[in-house]
Amino acid sequence: MSEEKMTVPEEARRMDQSRKKKKTARAALSFLILGVLLAALVFASINIGSLQVSFGELMRGLFVERIENVAAIYDLRFPRIVISLFAGAAVAVAGVLFQAVLKNPLADPGIIGISSGASFAAVLVTAFLPALYFFTPLFAFGGGVLAFFLVYSLSWKGGLSPLRIILTGVAVSAMFSGLSDALNSMTGGSSSGVASIVEGNITQKTWEDVQTLLPYVIVGLVLAVLFSKMCNLMTLEDKTARGLGVNVNLMRILISLVAVLLASISTAVAGAVSFLGLIVPHIGRILVGSDHRALVPFSMLAGAFTFLLADTIGRTVAAPYEVSASIIMSVIGGPFFIILLRRSKKYAA
Amino acid sequence: MQREDKKKPAMEVRGLYFSYGKNKVLRDASFTIEEGEITTIMGANGCGKSTLFNLMTKNLCPRKGNIFLWGRNIQNLALKEFARKVSIVHQYNTSADDITVERLVSFGRTPHMKMMQARSQEDEEKIRWAMEVTNVETYRDREVGRLSGGQRQRVWIAMALAQSTKILFLDEPTTYLDIRYQIEILELVQRLNREYGITIIMVLHDINQAIHYSDRIIGLKDGRVAAWGAPGEIITPECIRELYGISLDVTNVEGKKFVLTV
Repeated sequence: MSEEKMTVPEEARRMDQSRKKKKTARAALSFLILGVLLAALVFASINIGSLQVSFGELMRGLFVERIENVAAIYDLRFPRIVISLFAGAAVAVAGVLFQAVLKNPLADPGIIGISSGASFAAVLVTAFLPALYFFTPLFAFGGGVLAFFLVYSLSWKGGLSPLRIILTGVAVSAMFSGLSDALNSMTGGSSSGVASIVEGNITQKTWEDVQTLLPYVIVGLVLAVLFSKMCNLMTLEDKTARGLGVNVNLMRILISLVAVLLASISTAVAGAVSFLGLIVPHIGRILVGSDHRALVPFSMLAGAFTFLLADTIGRTVAAPYEVSASIIMSVIGGPFFIILLRRSKKYAA
Repeated sequence: MQREDKKKPAMEVRGLYFSYGKNKVLRDASFTIEEGEITTIMGANGCGKSTLFNLMTKNLCPRKGNIFLWGRNIQNLALKEFARKVSIVHQYNTSADDITVERLVSFGRTPHMKMMQARSQEDEEKIRWAMEVTNVETYRDREVGRLSGGQRQRVWIAMALAQSTKILFLDEPTTYLDIRYQIEILELVQRLNREYGITIIMVLHDINQAIHYSDRIIGLKDGRVAAWGAPGEIITPECIRELYGISLDVTNVEGKKFVLTV
């Protein structure tokens, strides 16, 4: 090999090894820093608002004795924080999974219409079958599956072109958002429960909402971790993966269902969030690499962090008025998406 | 068409039909692949060789006819079981850019592992062996995205070898490479066959490379097997005209046949 002759093989091997070590160190450091930032953000978020407590007070209030301020924060801010964390983790991981099985780094549950499908189903239930409110997540999941099926089958043309998925997704997304908006207007506009889903408003969330969200999200996240090795194989060409004994079509369906579950449930509770599932995995790949065994857990933490950050900014930037996290995400995510599109060679054609 | 009856055919294709809609791609293709040989499938564009390759590697299902692997119909073999017996290097491959050579080669162990299992001693040995044979061990820790085309192709072959199968399929393994890497890959393929007894089935475009590196040639024409046999016997100007519809001279240099492709 001409490349090898230029440097002694041993030398080249050492360089490769030190590069590999550096990358491992960077990944570990990224996890560590993110963990610290996340803890700090949670504490900051607990303390932002009219009520404030010290760290010691908080710990005592939570675990030792009853402190009025802590109790109020526990009832008012905690549900919202927990929902932000889990919804953020869910959406980011959904993004990672979609990107793996669709072999498309631009696949985001918001952009490809999953969130709006889920949101529309949730809106339908809230508007017409309020008695079934408890089952909203399941209906949202159904809506998400429908949207995914539509996008997948409509963009299939002897193969899945990344661009066609995005375009079809945009259309499907627009259709479902339109339907949701129409329902929203027909049922009395911005004060209804419908509006809170459409607008991704999580101001009034309670521990009950946390209970609705958590079991599904935890199941989805655990499944995502279990599938992470399979996701690595799914990034190969279909034929190559099949040659390794992988039932590619079945795996694509199963992993997609996990992704749809995560995206839909979080949409049902926290509203449709765009770009989160795009930005977080993208940054994750830069920091910890594209091995899903690291990328999935990293995206969980980073998704939780990003969503909570957006929500916290949203409720401080124009206090006492609030801007929803999904709006913040759109404002930040739009330009980011454009930068990705411009910089990448892969999606151009 | 002589058959050595002592050896059991590694694969047998019988009366294979396949069509895309009304377009009949394969009509009654039948032949056998002998164990321990290098068999090359060749023919003009659109003759059905890719389809045949995909049928034999379980990427497509035949409309009619059967393919047997050591006497077992491959339609009745689960993908995983098939992958333990047959490994395939496809023409076009992609991977994450930042995956290391060693990790990518280790994917070859997938059919032998349970989903949650860690690598066994045997896995490690096979991975190492595959990297050594293909000469990619030196840069085992390098990212695949930083390799040259020729190196990358050897990594894909290494991944297939890590499957440790007796049969190896290669779909135009030299297509995207310059002549030097082409020869290097073909020499490697020959070595895998001669030294390790791996049965090779490949698709090649270059007629002369096919002649020189194959024990047997399957010439396809309009979905039918138009020529089948040892290259020294079957390659004639008539055969080339039949397969490619063009008249080319065939010469002998030191007992070896060459098709003058200019």
